[in-house]
Amino acid sequence: MNRPVSKDFDIRDYLRLDRMPHFLCPGCGHGIALRALLWAIHELDLNKDKLAVVSGIGCSGRLSAYVDANTYHTTHGRPLAFATGLKLARPDLTVVVITGDGDSLAIGGNHLIHACRRNLDLTCLMLNNEVYGMTGGQASPTTSADRYTTTTPLGNHEPRFDACKLAQAAGASFVGREVTLQLPALKNLIREGIAHAGFSFVEVMSDCTEIYGRKNELGSSPEMVLRQKHDVRPESYGNQVERPFRPGPWQTGILARDERVEYGAAWRSHCAQHGGGVAP
Amino acid sequence: MSATLEPVFGANVDATRPTNVLVVGVGGQGVIMVSKVMARIAQLHCREIKQSEVHGMAKRGGSVFSHVRFGAEVWAPTIALGEADVVVALEWAEGLRWLPYLNPVSGSLIVDTKRIVPPFGCIDRRRGATLAYPDTRIAEVAAHVPNLYALDAEGMAEALGNPRVANTVLLGVLSTTLDFPAEEWRRVIAEFVPAATVSTNLEALEVGRKWARRVHEGEAVTAPLNLPQARPAAAVVDSVALDINPAWCKGCDICVKMCPELCLRLNENQKAELTDAALCTGCHICEWLCPDFAIKVNLLPTAEAQHA
Ligand SMILES: Cc1ncc(C[n+]2csc(CCOP(=O)(O)OP(=O)(O)O)c2C)c(N)n1
Ligand code: SF4
Ligand code: SF4
Ligand code: SF4
Ligand SMILES: [Mg+2]
Repeated sequence: MNRPVSKDFDIRDYLRLDRMPHFLCPGCGHGIALRALLWAIHELDLNKDKLAVVSGIGCSGRLSAYVDANTYHTTHGRPLAFATGLKLARPDLTVVVITGDGDSLAIGGNHLIHACRRNLDLTCLMLNNEVYGMTGGQASPTTSADRYTTTTPLGNHEPRFDACKLAQAAGASFVGREVTLQLPALKNLIREGIAHAGFSFVEVMSDCTEIYGRKNELGSSPEMVLRQKHDVRPESYGNQVERPFRPGPWQTGILARDERVEYGAAWRSHCAQHGGGVAP
Repeated sequence: MSATLEPVFGANVDATRPTNVLVVGVGGQGVIMVSKVMARIAQLHCREIKQSEVHGMAKRGGSVFSHVRFGAEVWAPTIALGEADVVVALEWAEGLRWLPYLNPVSGSLIVDTKRIVPPFGCIDRRRGATLAYPDTRIAEVAAHVPNLYALDAEGMAEALGNPRVANTVLLGVLSTTLDFPAEEWRRVIAEFVPAATVSTNLEALEVGRKWARRVHEGEAVTAPLNLPQARPAAAVVDSVALDINPAWCKGCDICVKMCPELCLRLNENQKAELTDAALCTGCHICEWLCPDFAIKVNLLPTAEAQHA
C-alpha cells in the first residue's frame, strides 16, 4: 500500500503528495508538529502499514489527511474513543491520536480523562494553540488570561487548564510537553511517548498565527515561534518578558512516566480468564 | 589564625611587593575553586589579600578569570599587565590569551594542554570546517615564558578516575612554585572540595606536585600538544544543496528570520529563496521550522568521502 521510505528522514516519504500543499495558514505551528511526529515515526522505523493516525476535528484534526499511512479522521472530540476501539481490535497497530485543545479539553474532555484512566497503549498529541482555530478563533479551555478571541471580546477572564497536570492526575502513564521551536526535542519526546507501553499524552505548544496571533497582536510568524522561548524560559529573560504568548513558566520535557498495567493486555487476560469478550 | 604577618615567598617572587596569581580558564572547569584555595592559603600567611573574579557571565564555556593578590600591603584588586607572578591556565588558549599579564622576566605559566574550542572558534559552522583555534606550539610559548609548566592535567586527572580534578593537579604544580607548606595545601583543599571527592583531590594534588618536581629536576616532561588538525578548507566542507519547493512555500518568513547565516529571503512572489549558497552551513533549521515542508536540506557526501 505505502511507498517505501529512504534511510535518512525525508518527510515527503510520509506525506500524501497528491494532497499537498496542506491547508494550514502560513506559519501555523501545527505543520511543525506534524514534522516532529513523522520524524519520530521514521526514527522508530515503524512500518507505515502498521501505523494508524487518528484525529478529531479542527485544524489539528485535519493533519491525518496528509499522512501516508492508515488514517482515521473522526468526529469532533471523539478521536480517543475511535482510537480506543481501533487499538483493542487491532493491538498490532501503533495508534497515534492528533487532537487540539478544543477537541480534547472542551468537547472531548471526558474522553481524554477516561483514556488517561484506562491507560491503553495510545499516543495522544495535543496541539495546543490556545484557541479554536478552525472555527474562526473562539476561546478554548487553554486560552491565557486577557487574550482576545471572538468569544472573549473584552479579554479572557477564565482560568486555563494545565493539560499535562490534568492528564497526569487522570492517570496517563507518560506525560510530556514541548514547544514546536525545539523541533528535535519535540521529536525525541514523541518518540519516547510512542515507545512507551501505555497511554502517552504529549502537549505540543503550537501557534495559531493567522487568527489568535493576529487578533492578539502577537507578531509575525517568526516572532510567534521565537516567543515560545520566552514562554518556557522566562527566567532567561530576567522574568521581564513583554507580552508573553502564554505566560509561564511551563515545564517542558518528560513530566511523568510510570509503568502502570496497560489496558489492552489487562483486558485480554481478563477476557481469557472469564471466557468471554472478543479479544483477538 | 597562625599569622606570620610577612608573606612567605617562593623563590621566584620579590618580597617587597604583592604576589600576583592569575587563574584563568573556561566556565565549569573550576577556576574559582583554584582561586579560592590560593586565597585561603595566602590568608593564613599574609596581612592583606585581595581576590576578584569574573565568572564568564556564569555560562559554561565562557572565559573565566580570577585575580589573587597577597602580601604585606595590597591596594588594587586586579593585576596589571606584565605583573602576574604566576598564571594558572586550565585551558591552553586561555593561557595564551592571558600571557600579556605574565611577568616577562620571572613569571611562571602553569597551563593544562587541554583544548576547549570556544564558540568564536567555530565561526565557520559548516561541517568539517577548520576551527579558528590558535595553533601555537609549546616550543613557541616556551621561548617567551620564563618558567613554563605545560602539562596534560586533564589526562592525569582522568587516570585518577575523575577528569574534574584537573584543576587540583594544577594546584599541585602551583604549590611547588610558592613556599607554603604542603600540609596546608592539603588541608585547605580538603576544606573546599565536596566531601566525596576529598581523597581523589588529594591524590591529584600529589600527582601535580610530583610532576613539577620532575620539571625542577630538569627532566623534559612537557606534555605533547595535540592541536586541532588544520585541513585545507575546500576539501572538508560538505556541499549543501537546498531544495526549496515554491509550490508548497506560503511565504510565512519563518525560515528567513530563523536562518543563523541570514542567507534566505522572500522573493517578489513571497517565496523563500537562497541568497548566497556559500553562506549556507546545512544546519537544517529552515527545514525543521518550515510548517509547509517546503525546504529539504541535502548534505552531499562527496566531501565526506575526501575526509576519510
Ligand atoms: C460536534 C461538533 N461541534 C462543533 C464543531 C465545530 N468545530 C469544529 S473545529 C472546532 C474547534 C477546534 O478547536 P481545536 O480542537 O483547538 O483545534 P484547532 O483548530 O485549534 O487546531 C469546533 C468547535 C464540530 N465540528 N462538531
Ligand atoms: S486558523 Fe490557526 S490553527 Fe488553523 S491553520 Fe490557521 S493558523 Fe493554524
Ligand atoms: S540550512 Fe537553512 S537555516 Fe541553515 S544555514 Fe542553510 S539556509 Fe540557513
Ligand atoms: S518557512 Fe517554509 S513556508 Fe515559510 S517562507 Fe520559509 S519555505 Fe516558505
Ligand atoms: Mg486549538
